[in-house]
Amino acid sequence: MNEAAVVLVRSIIGFFTLLIFARLLGKQQISQLTFFEYVLGITIGSIAASLSVDLTSRAWPHWVGLFTWTAIVFTLQWISVRSPCAAKYLVGEPTIIIMNGQIMENNMRKIRYTTSDLLEQLRDKGVFDLNQVAYAVLETDGQLSVLLKPEFQPVTPQDLNITPQNVGPGVELVSNGIVIEENLKKINQDRLWLESQLKEHGIENFSEVFLATYIPETGEFYIDKYNERDSV
Amino acid sequence: MKKVTVYIITALTITMFILLMNAGNYLKSPRGQDDNFPLHIKLLTENIKNEQWQKAGENLEKLALAWKKIVPRIQYSVEKDEINAINVNLARLKSYITTRDKSNALAELNEAFEHWNDLNR
Repeated sequence: MNEAAVVLVRSIIGFFTLLIFARLLGKQQISQLTFFEYVLGITIGSIAASLSVDLTSRAWPHWVGLFTWTAIVFTLQWISVRSPCAAKYLVGEPTIIIMNGQIMENNMRKIRYTTSDLLEQLRDKGVFDLNQVAYAVLETDGQLSVLLKPEFQPVTPQDLNITPQNVGPGVELVSNGIVIEENLKKINQDRLWLESQLKEHGIENFSEVFLATYIPETGEFYIDKYNERDSV
Repeated sequence: MKKVTVYIITALTITMFILLMNAGNYLKSPRGQDDNFPLHIKLLTENIKNEQWQKAGENLEKLALAWKKIVPRIQYSVEKDEINAINVNLARLKSYITTRDKSNALAELNEAFEHWNDLNR
């Protein structure tokens, strides 16, 4: 028996099965996962690892385990999306930790959430003074959402009666010295236009440019040249 | 790539994996006379029962050869422990045939056949 060959074949099976199942389960990021979903992810990963290298048992039972766990998670996701009531039990509910500036000690006790947890998560949100907090809610993924009291909220352009200019994302026109023709077409321009624009910034050749982006709304360029020395 | 193509490739990949993981029973079945493991077990059992030790030695070699041909085919679908167990059975069987130990040789053969039946189960 060639163990390396068997591990190779089983690893390929495990890898692509996990890839297919992970795509099926969706795009949630680690930071958006609840504790239970995080543990589910670890379990599924662990089963895939066993499938790959545990030669003392056949690959098939491991694969069935992988399929079953994925199918259950998929079913729970499906139910959660369709039934808000079921989602309340499956995913849990956010818990109010601070209401009208008052800490809800009973709620904290129920979910075994300590004051140091609260202060740590507030600091993480840039809040160092509890007096500034109007509401704080612990979300199902463990993140703390904070609403500051009106007097501590940052000023917005609306408060100052300013109408800010709408700015979209920058379009990449040159990357690694290569002109991205597709993006030039998107902004209805051509190479000649780009060349003249770059000349205005003292650039004679595209190959001098590491990255050039353009914001159509403002007509502004961001240009990074190769010959600029990166200093530490 | 069209969505349908992606679904077809995914379905084919999964199907191929399932077939490969469960192909042990099909792959262990004989392709000719020289890799017929159950037949060689049967012949060897007869030899040992009749105390034909010379023939038993020859058939044991054929059995070991058959096993050697089967292992590369089934290794992706069966347990490593079952393969190892049959290897051990064959090694012990060789000693029992050499020492003409009828009862232990028959017991070892039965165990090897049991492991054979357990492959891919």
